[in-house]
Amino acid sequence: MLPAHSLLWHYFWLAPHILQVALAFLMWRRGLHSLFGVFFAYLIFEAFEEFTLYGLDIAPAVSGETFWRAFCVGLIVEGFIKIGVIGELFYHLLRPWPAIAKVGSRLVTGTGAVLVLLASLAAALVVPDNNHWLISGSHILQQTFYIVDCGLLALLFSFTAYFKLAWNYRILGIAVGLAILACEHLGTWAVMANGGLLGQRHFLDLLNMATYHVCVLIWFYYLLVPQKTPTTSAVSLPENNLAIWNRELERLLQQ
Amino acid sequence: MNLAVVLVIAAVVALSIILRLAVTQSLQLKGSSGPDVSIRPIDIEAFRNLINPAEDEYLRRRLPPAQFRTVRRERLRAMAAYVQVANHNAAVLIRVGEAALAGRDGRVAEAAQLMVADALLLRRNATVAVARIYLALAWPGSEFAAVRVVERYEQLSGTAMLLGRLQNPGAAVRLSASR
Repeated sequence: MLPAHSLLWHYFWLAPHILQVALAFLMWRRGLHSLFGVFFAYLIFEAFEEFTLYGLDIAPAVSGETFWRAFCVGLIVEGFIKIGVIGELFYHLLRPWPAIAKVGSRLVTGTGAVLVLLASLAAALVVPDNNHWLISGSHILQQTFYIVDCGLLALLFSFTAYFKLAWNYRILGIAVGLAILACEHLGTWAVMANGGLLGQRHFLDLLNMATYHVCVLIWFYYLLVPQKTPTTSAVSLPENNLAIWNRELERLLQQ
Repeated sequence: MNLAVVLVIAAVVALSIILRLAVTQSLQLKGSSGPDVSIRPIDIEAFRNLINPAEDEYLRRRLPPAQFRTVRRERLRAMAAYVQVANHNAAVLIRVGEAALAGRDGRVAEAAQLMVADALLLRRNATVAVARIYLALAWPGSEFAAVRVVERYEQLSGTAMLLGRLQNPGAAVRLSASR
C-alpha cells in the first residue's frame, strides 16, 4: 500500500484517465474508433488499468505485493498495446504509398529488433534500486518499454521527414502526444530504475502524471477540434525554372 | 547512475528532434510554410555519360592503375553530386505533388499521386545509390551503376511534365535537359 497523498496527487492520478474515457466515448461517437482501433483500445485499457491501480492503492486490505503484481501485468499489456499504436501510425502514413511501404516496414522491424537488444543491454546494466524484485523489476521493465517506444517514434518522425510525407492532422496529434509521453517517461523511469533521486521519487511520479495529463489534452485537441483549412492553394511547378532547363537543352544540342 | 544520465540525455535529444520535426509538419499542415520549389536542373546526358560502364572500362584500359583509381574517385564524387541533386528534386516534387493532391480536379490529383509515387521511389533509390557510391569510393576498382536512378529520374520528369501541363496548360515543364 502506498502512503496517502496530496489532493494534487489524486487529481493527477484520476483526471487524465477520466478524460481518456471521455475521449474514447467521443471517438466512438464520431466513428474515429474504427480508424484508430489500436489507439482506441489503448485509451480504454489505460483508463481501466489506472482506475484499478488507484483502487488497489487506496484499499487498505490490498497488500503492497498485490499492487505491484497488478502494476507489472498492466505494464506489460500496456507496453505491447503502445507498440501496436506506433505500428498503427506507421500503417496510416505508409498505406497511400506502396512504393516505400515495404522499405518502411523492413526499417521498422530492423530498428525494433535493434532497440529490443539495446533495451535488454540497458536492463542488464541496471543495478536494482529496490530489494524487492517486483518493484525493481517493474522499474526496469518501464525503462525497457520506453527505450523501444522512444526509438520507434524517433524513427517514425525521421522517416516521414526524410520522405517528405504529409501527416494527417489527427495522426500527427497522436504521435506528438505519444512522443512527449515516451521521452519524458524514459527519462524518469531510467532515473528510478538506476536508483537516482531516492528521496524525491514523489516528484518524479508527479512529473509523470502531469506529463500524461498534458498528452491526453493534446490528443483531445488534435482528435476532436476540427482542422483549419490550409490558406495556401495547390503549388504549381515553378515556371521560372523553365528558362534554366531550356538553356541546358540548347547547350546540349550545340555540343 | 551513469546509465540513467545517458538515457536521460538520449530522451531529451529524441524529444527535441521529434518536437522540431512536429512543429515543421504542423506549420506545413496549416499552410503557413510553403514548400521550397527550387528545383535544380540536371544535365541528364552528362549524368548518363558519367555512369556508363563502357567509359569506366575504357579508362581502366588506358590509364595506369593508380591514375585510374584517382579518376574513378573523381567520377564517383561527381556521380554522388548528381544523385543528390536528383534526390533534392524528388523531395521538392513530393511537396508539390502533395499540395496538388488537395485540389478538386480529379486528373490533377491522379497525376499528382503518380508523381509523388515516382518521386518516393526515386528518393529511395537515390538514398541507396549514394550509400553505394560512398562504399565504392573506398574500392574504386569495384563495379557500380546508378542506372536505376537515372531511369527513375527520367520517369519522374515525365510525370512532373504531365502534372505541370495539367496545372498550367500554357507551359511545359522540364526537369532535365534531355527530355
